[in-house]
Amino acid sequence: MNSLHILLVDDEPDFVENLAERLRLRGFAIHTASNGADALELMRGHQFQGVVLDVIMPGMDGLETLREIKKIDDTVEVVLLTGHARVDAALEGVRAGAFDYLIKPVDIDELSFRLQDACEKRALVLRSRST
Amino acid sequence: MIGKIRDIWQRVKTLRNADPPEKSDDEALRREFKLRYMQFRRLLNANDKALKTISEMDAVLVGTKPFGMSFIRSRAALLFVNVFQIIQHLNTLADGRHQALFDAFTRLKQEISPLLEYAPGPDTGPAILELSEIDKTHVEAAGVKMASLGDITKKLNVEIPPGFVVTASAYHRFMRHNRLHEEINQRIQSHDGESLDQMYRLSSILQQLVMQAPVPEDVASEIQEAVKRLASVGPGPPALAVRSSGVNEDLPGASFAGQYRSLLNVNPEHIISAYKEVVAGKYNVTAMSYRFNRGLRDEDIVMCVGCLKMVDAVCGGVLYTRNPIDIRDDTVIINSVWGLPKLVVDGRSATDRIVVSRKPLAIVAKNIALKKVVYQCHAAEGICRETLDDAQAGTASLTDDQALNLARLAVAIEQYYGDPQDIEWAIDAGNKIVILQCRPLAMTPAEEKDEQSKDETTRESSADSLEEVTQDRAGEADSASLRILLRGGITASRGVGAGPVHILKKEVDNLSFAAGEVMVISQSLPGYAVLLDRAAAVIAEYGSISSHLANVAREYEVPVIFGVKGAMDALENGHTVTVDADGLKVYEGKAVHLLKKKVKNRHMMADTPVYNILKQVVPHVSPLNLLNPDSPGFSPENCRSLHDIIRYCHEKAVHEMFRFGRKHEFPERSSKQLVAEVPMQWWILNLDDGFAEEVDGPKVRLDNITSIPMLALWEGINRVPWGGPPPIDAKGFMSVMFEATRNTALLPDMRSRYNLRNYFMIARNYCSLTSRFGFHFATVESYVGDRVMENYVIFRFKGGAADDFRKMRRIQLITEILEDVSFRVTVTEDALSARFEDYPMDIMKNRLNILGYLIMHTRQLDMVMSNSNMVGHYRSKIRTDIERLFSPQRL
Repeated sequence: MNSLHILLVDDEPDFVENLAERLRLRGFAIHTASNGADALELMRGHQFQGVVLDVIMPGMDGLETLREIKKIDDTVEVVLLTGHARVDAALEGVRAGAFDYLIKPVDIDELSFRLQDACEKRALVLRSRST
Repeated sequence: MIGKIRDIWQRVKTLRNADPPEKSDDEALRREFKLRYMQFRRLLNANDKALKTISEMDAVLVGTKPFGMSFIRSRAALLFVNVFQIIQHLNTLADGRHQALFDAFTRLKQEISPLLEYAPGPDTGPAILELSEIDKTHVEAAGVKMASLGDITKKLNVEIPPGFVVTASAYHRFMRHNRLHEEINQRIQSHDGESLDQMYRLSSILQQLVMQAPVPEDVASEIQEAVKRLASVGPGPPALAVRSSGVNEDLPGASFAGQYRSLLNVNPEHIISAYKEVVAGKYNVTAMSYRFNRGLRDEDIVMCVGCLKMVDAVCGGVLYTRNPIDIRDDTVIINSVWGLPKLVVDGRSATDRIVVSRKPLAIVAKNIALKKVVYQCHAAEGICRETLDDAQAGTASLTDDQALNLARLAVAIEQYYGDPQDIEWAIDAGNKIVILQCRPLAMTPAEEKDEQSKDETTRESSADSLEEVTQDRAGEADSASLRILLRGGITASRGVGAGPVHILKKEVDNLSFAAGEVMVISQSLPGYAVLLDRAAAVIAEYGSISSHLANVAREYEVPVIFGVKGAMDALENGHTVTVDADGLKVYEGKAVHLLKKKVKNRHMMADTPVYNILKQVVPHVSPLNLLNPDSPGFSPENCRSLHDIIRYCHEKAVHEMFRFGRKHEFPERSSKQLVAEVPMQWWILNLDDGFAEEVDGPKVRLDNITSIPMLALWEGINRVPWGGPPPIDAKGFMSVMFEATRNTALLPDMRSRYNLRNYFMIARNYCSLTSRFGFHFATVESYVGDRVMENYVIFRFKGGAADDFRKMRRIQLITEILEDVSFRVTVTEDALSARFEDYPMDIMKNRLNILGYLIMHTRQLDMVMSNSNMVGHYRSKIRTDIERLFSPQRL
């Protein structure tokens, strides 16, 4: 089975490393970025199936990054992951096209299931488009 | 994104209409079904998550564990996001025919959001206030301690050190700068675990965050200006004491004594860092866990910081204007040491203790300790410990005159405030008394202290000796040793209550229930709730703590124990018992000592800000008002809670999936009749991958079905052939006939949503069964796969012919059986809803077997429900069957 390529974007280095490691153990191919600008840079060079995106980051915040990501590749599915859960930001994220919204501390199984579902959805939509 | 999917479908549809059916068209249709099923699954997923979030919120509100604002905010965000997604998914499935739900959603959001808002307070107003210009009206800006200091010097002309306050406004500006407050809240929410070492780690992370954050430049320069002004007044080196002064330290029960930080002898060059250190002190472990347990929000504590000129103390200490453990003792108690009073504050050293009476003002006791250690200002910065020679160490640090002057001042301050005070003081080289801090004294009534120490003893005893202690205490109280009649079960509502036993076997017995009696029932049926305003306590053999009865009991603060098996037989009508819902014991007679203890039947966080917020949020979230999908009131306009929206969407989504499958003339996806030997019609609609091979004809064989939950349910349905309707007694039959004439929805030939057949909608991991067996209406929905946390079975059961009483009995019977095998059952009126979730596949299949069996074998049971012997007979037959056929694992 081909690994799903996932980009993790979060400004807390310890958190990213830890999460990346655990997702790799579950068979994902993980790439990381510590801010929105780096994430967009990576997006332009790689084809990702999914993105896990922190909502609060210095510089370009998660929601802004989400919109930019969708401009680069509107098929990539984005799961928002936040330690600062707020109703309005959450809804804004979903309206802006996030696949789902999860909160920290996140259950690693739940995150990996959501990523699998997101990628499955992407594949279905792509197949529909091609006809 | 959603729009896009819709576009694709639109295109698929147009395609199909334009061209005659072909192979590629079938492909497109199959994909369309696949997309729909995916959308449906996402809806189910959000549905599941939203329901779990609601039960979490309900659970903490009645539970005993403390929770913080980050819990409420994060759960609310999750809930709204999932409900929003549910509505979106439903509208995608239904081509936007449920837009009205967004109005209900917005309405609820407007009701809930304001309760959750957080923003740092106003940042208008000066960053600095001079102590000389403030009084007690400045609490909001300067914090309690500094406002009090300013106040007493203004009103009583008491000497205080010159200084200034870095205000609440400055604090808010600091917090807002670079969104420090968001960063902090983010760490608090993300932190998992409540263990002490987790708490320490979080505390250190938060303090570092504050220390590393820059103070906004304008605030920093105002602070530095103020320091310069301070240096220019008065003699002595311009060293500073930098002290916390929190706003809202006077919240109910919130005594913050000694939780926050004070820095002494700070070099003025380091004032900014000292300021940050004191602010960071908000996140020391003691203060954090205290706030958490007292239900205070992080933002409830605003740290103002006082910067005072250091007093060159010859001696100092702390005094209480009264005896804190005896309200009747009004002597002034002075603790004093040589040097800085910090030693007394920290409680680290022996101190002189001088007790002064008020009228006449006289020293009534004097204990001079050997004070070998002294704290003094270090030449450069900070303070140092020095050792005194025995001669000075043994000399009184305070003369009698000084003590009397201090006491006189203390009494004046107490009179001014009207409450006992806790005062930190120093005497400088010029023999001047300087007040450094004063705050209300936390009084502990003597009786309560006594009780606490007794509790200490109890807690230390082992479980076995606990009874002895209890008996001893009972002996003290009423000279009778109490026998324990029952023990165990679960606390459904806390507290202790006593009274004569009254066993209720059916609701008609309600009328004979007298005030002050202890209700003993088999099942926690909602009908008993009307008695709760007069019941002393409740014991039930079965029941769930989230049941209506339990909810009302908590509201009325009636102690309740559920799950006391055998209570109906063990207790005797009219005999007085004591129900200790906290200790899960039922005693014979009146346990006066327990009743006297008056255990508060309240959440430990009751009336705290955080608790009150959740209490206001939950009514918009969890009550389910939409019960009957057949009623005209089942509409978006009537959604009064998020739970209603969830319920509505689920019902409509299942319906949409069904409708879509029927409306498309796509032979392989139209409903198929199951080839079965059961004398009933079973129809199956394949949503996605529920068949091993596509079926073109009108019938499908069982061996072609791959749906895991359907197969498990089917196995239960067919395990034992149904023995036909039970023998009906004449009364039962009349009752059924009467109900049938009254309620046309029950007549077999009347319209119903899915016709009168039994319908399965299936996919490999999903199944939904809608059926009308006889007169009742049952649905089973289940998702079973490898993802344990996504597995669930929900069973809904409603109606039935026969009168309410019989219906209720049957519901009671089903409730008992389902609770036996760990379903969570909720009964509202005559609708039962049972949920079982988050177990691995084999256990899920086992519970589906049992449900299948129950659906077949409880139908029409209400006809025999008037006869309690028959009820007993069927109950034990069903129980034995389940045990024998399915041997369910106890969880």
